[in-house]
Amino acid sequence: MLSLLQQGLDAVFTFQVLGLVLFGTVIGIIFGAIPGLTSTMAVALFLPITYTLSPGAGISLLVALFVGGTSGGLISAILLKIPGTPSSIATTFDGGPMMEKGEAVKALGAGIVFSFLGTLFSIAALVFIAPTLAKVALRFGPHEYFAIAVFSLTLIATLASGSMIKGIFSGVVGFAFATVGIAPVDAVTRYTFGYADLNGGFQILTVLIGLFAVSEIIKVAETVRHEQKASIGTVSMKNIKGFGFSMQEFFGQGWNFIRSSIIGTGIGILPGIGGGTSNIVSYIVAKNRSKHPEKFGTGILDGVVASETANNASIGGAMVPLLTLGIPGDAVTAVMLGGFMIQGIQPGPLLFVSQGALVYTIFVALLLSTVMMLVCEFYGLRIFIKLLAVPKHILLPIILVLCVVGSFGLDSNLFDVWTILLFGLIGYGFLKVGISLPPFIIGFILGPMAETNLRRGLQLSDGDFTGFLTNPISAAFLALSLASVLWSLYQSRKPR
Amino acid sequence: MDRITKREFTVGAIMLACGLGYMALTSQIPHIKNQYGFVDATFVPYVLSAIMCLLGVLQILTARQPAKEADAGATTSADQRTVFKTIALIIAYVALLEPVGFLLATVVYLVIQFTLLTPADRKPNIPLYALIAVLTSGITYAIFRYAFDMVLPVGLFGF
Repeated sequence: MLSLLQQGLDAVFTFQVLGLVLFGTVIGIIFGAIPGLTSTMAVALFLPITYTLSPGAGISLLVALFVGGTSGGLISAILLKIPGTPSSIATTFDGGPMMEKGEAVKALGAGIVFSFLGTLFSIAALVFIAPTLAKVALRFGPHEYFAIAVFSLTLIATLASGSMIKGIFSGVVGFAFATVGIAPVDAVTRYTFGYADLNGGFQILTVLIGLFAVSEIIKVAETVRHEQKASIGTVSMKNIKGFGFSMQEFFGQGWNFIRSSIIGTGIGILPGIGGGTSNIVSYIVAKNRSKHPEKFGTGILDGVVASETANNASIGGAMVPLLTLGIPGDAVTAVMLGGFMIQGIQPGPLLFVSQGALVYTIFVALLLSTVMMLVCEFYGLRIFIKLLAVPKHILLPIILVLCVVGSFGLDSNLFDVWTILLFGLIGYGFLKVGISLPPFIIGFILGPMAETNLRRGLQLSDGDFTGFLTNPISAAFLALSLASVLWSLYQSRKPR
Repeated sequence: MDRITKREFTVGAIMLACGLGYMALTSQIPHIKNQYGFVDATFVPYVLSAIMCLLGVLQILTARQPAKEADAGATTSADQRTVFKTIALIIAYVALLEPVGFLLATVVYLVIQFTLLTPADRKPNIPLYALIAVLTSGITYAIFRYAFDMVLPVGLFGF
């Protein structure tokens, strides 16, 4: 382990990778801070660039974008009272009122420090849980992988925001798009209509850029012309010591921090959901457990700490299923999976055996990005505040151009550019009718895993389906999938 | 039938149509017999299309219940005219990338798109937009062409 850690440190502490991590953290914070831009968009947009980098450098850049993007949302959540990303929705509940009371620096300082600590907690959990889980997962065969894929698909579809029917539909459509091209096992060509570009199916990168970047740009076009100019809160650093709060206030958040970290990491580990959910759950739990719940929403530190600790603690949690099973923990790690694929790396238990140094490079890059996030976010606060004022009607078309260039650069082929447009329009259509996008991408990624392992499993058990039920791990996950659907059905029918 | 119910019903009908369409396309895939039972390249697509149809029917049935705003999606007033113009502009941009070239197509796209999205209460600053567009396309071209060694469409004019 120590030698792997040493290799990880050597890989990250080079001029190029340090520069990329700093760049990624800053860009991530900017994407997180500006409402309408998300960390998912940032990672998707920078994926094509990782083509030209080594695996360690490329993944480090994506990790830095993830960390910066998740935390950056707190700046606009507090100063604009608009969450920069879904991860900081609950931060607005108390961060905004704190800003109105003249405690903007305290709210920002606490948000930044507890984002940092929450990420550290989850990295520690990742470092201890992931290798152990990977050892167990090494014994998994097609039956187990099929069942885990089905479990992940049902979980994300049923936990998706809004209607369960639409959530499941989104996952199924994503799966259906993944069936385009050559089928696993017998290599039959499906849904290509004689078009050679479709033989290999849709490239994951074009699907991601289309769904998470192009659709958002089109959506912003709906409102950008008639938006009121948001008033940005002012921040005065005069007479501010440390991060703007006292040691007593810091230690007073001890239990809140531990509870929120556990909630964030736990939710992050669950396939398909991450910081977007954990910040709200953590806020509600903190409020329910508080001795003074009536103060929540009026501008107290507890609310900001609960939200910001939990959303960042989801980072390490979401990396656990990604690295150990090849299953994304949330939408951003789904995009990061694309980054691994670009480098020809298949995340999963074998990664810990064959690419141990890369795994530790990721751990070190995560840690370094977290430190850089703390420093850049606090000391560069005034610059980030200025960037909030960049008009969206200038920013979004430029991002679209970057999407076009990034997708064209995949194969120097316009087909990929048309593909991002197709998925952008599908994504926009889904958003318009309230269909959640993350299940689509999880279905697209896990679909082939489910189908391939279903067919391999059947080969192993001579076409007998009971093999999936007699295998204890597979049976347990299939039972959990059924329980998850039944529970969601029960919840949706329960009177509120 | 109120507006949300009508839309939810339409969504259900589209979901059902997607399922049926996908099933029809699946029926055209050749069956290949194997020794592992009836599971071939059409098995999973048939299962998926059946689930889509079932979900479509469920959506149609539940559309009659009063929908929660959150479930029904965005209902805020949207400037659809700007959305359609934006989509048309992006399509034109992509279509012209190869014949016209990246640099020129991007400058033209950016200037028109900036103008189109300019807030209604402000006057478009065309000279500034043109400057930003030229700088953006030039810097992007230089970075991708020379730093990342990616070839972007040069077009008729050779740039």
